[in-house]
Amino acid sequence: MARFLLWRALQTVVAMLGVSVAVFLIVQLVPGDPIRLALGTRFDEELYQAMRARAGLDQPLLTQYGGWLARAVTGDLGVSFRSGEPVTRLLLARLGPTSLLAGAALAVALAIALPLGIVSAVRSGSLVDRIATGFSQLWISVPDFWSGIMYILLFALLLGWLPASGYVSPLDDPVRAAHHLVLPAMTVGLISGSVLTRFVRSAVLEALHQDYARTARAKGLSRWQTVRRHVLPNAWISIVTAVGLQLGFLLGGVVIVEVIFEWPGLGRLAYDAVVRRDYSLLQGAVLAIALMFLVVNFLVDLLYGYLDPRVRRR
Amino acid sequence: MNPSPAFPHRRRSARTTRSAGRATSLAAVAALALAGCSAGESLETDDGPASSDGTLVVAISSEPDSLDVHVSTASPTFLVMENVYDTLVEPAPDLSFQPALATEWEVSEDLLTWTFQLRDGVTWHNGREFTASDVVASFERITDAETAANAWRFETVDEVREVDDRTVEFVLNQPTPNLLANIGGFKGMAIVAPELIEGDGLTTDAIGTGPFRFVSYTPGDRIVLEANPDYWGDGPYVDRVEFRFVSEPTTALTNLRTGAVHLTNNVPAQEIATLRDDPDVELGQQASNDYWYFTCNFDRPPFDDIDVRRALSFAIDREQVAQAAFFDAATPVQSAMPPGNFWATDYAPFSHDPDQARELLADAGVTDLTVDLMLTNEYPHTLAAAEVIASQWGDVGVNAEIRTLDFASWLDEQGNGSYDCYVLGWLNNLDGEYAYYAQHHSAGSFNFHGYANPQVDQYLDQARASVEDTERRDLYHQAARLIIDEVSYGYLYSPQATLAWAPQVSGVEMHPDGKTRLRTVRLTD
Repeated sequence: MARFLLWRALQTVVAMLGVSVAVFLIVQLVPGDPIRLALGTRFDEELYQAMRARAGLDQPLLTQYGGWLARAVTGDLGVSFRSGEPVTRLLLARLGPTSLLAGAALAVALAIALPLGIVSAVRSGSLVDRIATGFSQLWISVPDFWSGIMYILLFALLLGWLPASGYVSPLDDPVRAAHHLVLPAMTVGLISGSVLTRFVRSAVLEALHQDYARTARAKGLSRWQTVRRHVLPNAWISIVTAVGLQLGFLLGGVVIVEVIFEWPGLGRLAYDAVVRRDYSLLQGAVLAIALMFLVVNFLVDLLYGYLDPRVRRR
Repeated sequence: MNPSPAFPHRRRSARTTRSAGRATSLAAVAALALAGCSAGESLETDDGPASSDGTLVVAISSEPDSLDVHVSTASPTFLVMENVYDTLVEPAPDLSFQPALATEWEVSEDLLTWTFQLRDGVTWHNGREFTASDVVASFERITDAETAANAWRFETVDEVREVDDRTVEFVLNQPTPNLLANIGGFKGMAIVAPELIEGDGLTTDAIGTGPFRFVSYTPGDRIVLEANPDYWGDGPYVDRVEFRFVSEPTTALTNLRTGAVHLTNNVPAQEIATLRDDPDVELGQQASNDYWYFTCNFDRPPFDDIDVRRALSFAIDREQVAQAAFFDAATPVQSAMPPGNFWATDYAPFSHDPDQARELLADAGVTDLTVDLMLTNEYPHTLAAAEVIASQWGDVGVNAEIRTLDFASWLDEQGNGSYDCYVLGWLNNLDGEYAYYAQHHSAGSFNFHGYANPQVDQYLDQARASVEDTERRDLYHQAARLIIDEVSYGYLYSPQATLAWAPQVSGVEMHPDGKTRLRTVRLTD
C-alpha cells in the first residue's frame, strides 16, 4: 500500500508539473501580446517596454518559467493584469462557493445515480431499467446552459418558488443559502447523476455476471443479498472512479452554470478572465482547477486501498 | 504603429467658461468603456414625496475589473463608481459643463491658467473635509501616464497647484479650450481620497464625495453602496444600492420580473420588442453618440479611386446592416453624429443602389475586385454587420474576404496599413472636433487610411480657431459633406443604449453611454 501510494503521489507531482508548463504557456501562446492588449490605445513604446519588464516578459522563456514556478509553489501566482489584485486572493475567494455547489450537485447526483443505477442493473430489461436508461440518456444530451435557463423560467419566473440566481453564504443565512443553491445544484446534479447512473448500472451489471455472483445465488442467497454482499463491494471501485472524475469536474467549476446562475465560483472566474483577456488570472484559475482535479483523483486512489484489499497488499 | 492618443486642442478666447461646453471626451476606439456621461434625458420624472428607503438592486452585465477609476477602461467600473465619486465639473443634459466639486472657474487673459473655486462644506465619505490638496493629489495620479488611463488628456497641463484651501489652478503650456471636458467628461478623472492612493487601496476600496458611499465589494457577486446623507447635491433617494453581476440576460430579466432586481442594463437587442409590450417592465432607450463605419486603404489601388469607394457605399443597405448588428436597437446612419446630436449633419446621399454601384465600378474600370475586409472579434456586432456587407458587395460583383483578428493584432494591421477595408467605430462623439479632426485631417493622428483633402483640412483648422459653437458646427457640416461624399468613412449605424427597470422604480435618467446617475432614482412600494 505504501509503495502504491508513493507511486501515485509521484505520478500526481509529475502531472502537476506538466500542468504547470501548460498553464505557464497560456500567456506565451495567446494571440496578441497581453501587455499590448492591456494598454489598448494608450500604447506608447516606452511604457510598453516598462510594463513588459515589470511583468518579466523580457526574460528568456526558461528563466520566466523557473521564476513563475518558484513563486507559484509558495502560493504567489502574480497579480491580475486587469485589477492588479493578487491572483491567489481572487482564487481563494471562489473556493467556498465552488465547493458548496460541487458538494450539493454531487449529493443530487448520487441520490439519483445509486438507487437508479443499482435497480436498473438488478432488474435489467425491466420497465424501471428502460425508463431509467431513457431518462439518463436524455439528461446527458441536454446541455446545461439550456436546462439551467429552463429551470429559471419554470421555478423562478412561472412558479415563483425559488430565486433565479445569486449566491448567499450559508454562514450568513443557511435558509436563503439553500434556496439559492437548489437550481444550480439541480442543473448540474441531474446531468452528473445521469452520467453516474449509467456507470453504476454497468458496474453492477458486470459484477452480477461474474462467477462469484452466480455462485452466491447458487448457494441460496436472494438476489438482493447477493447484490449487497458480493456485487456492490466489487462494483465500488469503478463507481468510485467515476464519482471521483465527476467531482473533479464539478470542483473545476461548472463554467456555464456558474455564469447563468450568477454563482461566484471558480468557473465563472475563469470565464471572466477569458472575456477580459486577463491572462495571469486565467493562468491561476486553470492551475487551480487542474490541481483540484489531480487532488481528487489522488484521494480516489487512497479510497481504492480502503475498498479493495488487493490494492492494500500490493 | 498604433494610435498614440495625442489630441489637438481648440483655441478659445479668454472669458469665464460656464459655456465652454461642448468640448467633451473623445473615447478612443479601444475604449468602448471610456465614455463619459453627458447628454442626459429624463425619461421619467417623479414629483412625489421624497421617500428615502429600501435597497435598489441593479444587475449589470459584467463585473468591474477594478474599482480604480483612474486605471480602468471598463464600462462596469464606471457604471458603479459614477455614483461614488465626483469630478470638478460634470456634463449637464445640454452637453455644457456644470459645477460639481468646483463651483466656478475662470481663465486668464493668455488662456494658460484656469482657476477653480472649490465647493464649500463638502466632506469625504470618511468624514474628513474636502480641500484643494485633495484635488492636487488626485491629478498627480490622473496625469501619471504609467498609472492612469486618461493621462493623455493632460498633455497640455504643466501643473495643477493649490492656491489656497478652496482654490486650485491648472497651469497649461498651450491654450486648451476643452479643458472642462478633459477634467469632467466622465469619472475617469474623478477626485479620489488621497488616503487610498498609496498601495492598491483604490482597486478594492473607495472613498469619494458622491451621493453613495462604498460599502463592500464581493468579487464575483456584488458591490454594495449606501446613501451618503452628507451629499452636497440633491438626492440620493434610496438607502442602499446593490450592484450584481449578471451576464446571462435571461437571468437578469427573470430577476427583474420577479422583483429580485430593479434595474438592469443587460437587455439584449433581440429582447427589446418583447419587453416593449411587457407591462411589468419599463424600458428606456437613448440614442448613443457612437457610430460604426467602414473605410478603405487609400494607399492601395483601386481604393484610392473615389468611384470605387462610392460604389462600395452605394452597394450597402444600411437598414439590413444595422438590423444584423443590433436588431432594432441601432439606427442606420450616413454621417458621424447621430440624429439629435447638436453636431449632427443632415446629409444622406447613399441610398441602397446596386445598379449605380455596378455603374461606378464599370466607370472605374474595375472588374473582379476582391476586398480584404479586416474585422476584430472585440466587437462581435461588427462581424454580423460585415457578413451582410460582404453579401451586398457580392451582389455588385465585389468579393469580400473577411479576416477576423483579435484586437491587438487588428490595431497592428491597421497601423501597418495591411488591409483593404475595415469596420470599426468611434464612441461618445460629443464634439465635432472629436468626430472629424483626428480621423479626416491629413495630419490627423487617427487618419490611418490616408484620406487627404485640403478643403477638409481647411474647414477643420478653421473650426479649431473658432470660438462660437454654431460657427464651428457650420464648418463641421461643410467638412462632413466632403468626408461623406468622398467616402473617407462610410458611416453605417449608431446603436442605442437600453435600460430596463421595474415599475416601482422612477427617476431614471438615461445618458448616451447607458450609464445612469442613481442619485435621481426613487423606489416606491
